[in-house]
Amino acid sequence: MSVPKDSPLPKRTIAPLFWLLFGAGGMLSALFGPALILITGIMIPHGWGVPERLGSYDTVLAFARNPLGKLVLLALIALLFWHAAERLFLTLHDMRVGTVTVLRWLTYGVAFVLTIVTAVVLLMVGF
Amino acid sequence: MSERRPYLRPQPRTWWAHPPYRAYTIRELCGVALAVYGAILLAGLVCLARGPAAFESYRAFLASPLSLALHLLLLAAALWHMVTWFRILPKTMPKLVWHGKLVPQALMTQAATLLAVGCSVALLALVVVVGAWS
Repeated sequence: MSVPKDSPLPKRTIAPLFWLLFGAGGMLSALFGPALILITGIMIPHGWGVPERLGSYDTVLAFARNPLGKLVLLALIALLFWHAAERLFLTLHDMRVGTVTVLRWLTYGVAFVLTIVTAVVLLMVGF
Repeated sequence: MSERRPYLRPQPRTWWAHPPYRAYTIRELCGVALAVYGAILLAGLVCLARGPAAFESYRAFLASPLSLALHLLLLAAALWHMVTWFRILPKTMPKLVWHGKLVPQALMTQAATLLAVGCSVALLALVVVVGAWS
């Protein structure tokens, strides 16, 4: 069903989809971000509070091969990118760095490509 | 002739680096810092897919002082993101009415921030328990 050009209805856009991804990423990182950075970036690599073997090849491989682990990794990594893409787009737009089209490709485009890369790498890791 | 020509106040190009806009810029960049963390995780996955040798060099990087400094910076950014995210939250959602009274925005911010701290602490505790038990 197509809407005529002179329709009084507002034009439908896919902007709410990006807004949803932004909100989900922002909420996820607000709830768990500090703990995740502390765990994967500081505690496990240095063995502070947790055994270092939690970060070993075998343990991480087992986590990435678990279907639930795969889903967690994909959702977390992709949403972090989509959240930043929306913020960076709005900020660069406010800074008048470029046109809307250029900035959308630069931010959403990169987030899209990195989401695909994450999914492909998770498939390459195996099951 | 009758074209509208409103006065536009001149704005320096570096407005975002000066108060009162600086706080806005820092807040937005803290959100972007979280994408850097996402990229670190993705790099780990790529190394994992390439095999044990590549993953060991990734682990060696994570154990380096440079990585520690970077992650401390990212941790600060994530904490500031958490604080500012819940300051914005009440302004972006519909008004909340409880027993016929409007819930104050400050109360919503406090409750949500407390919930977030609880989530992070619970995740930390879970990992410590799993680590000790495994």
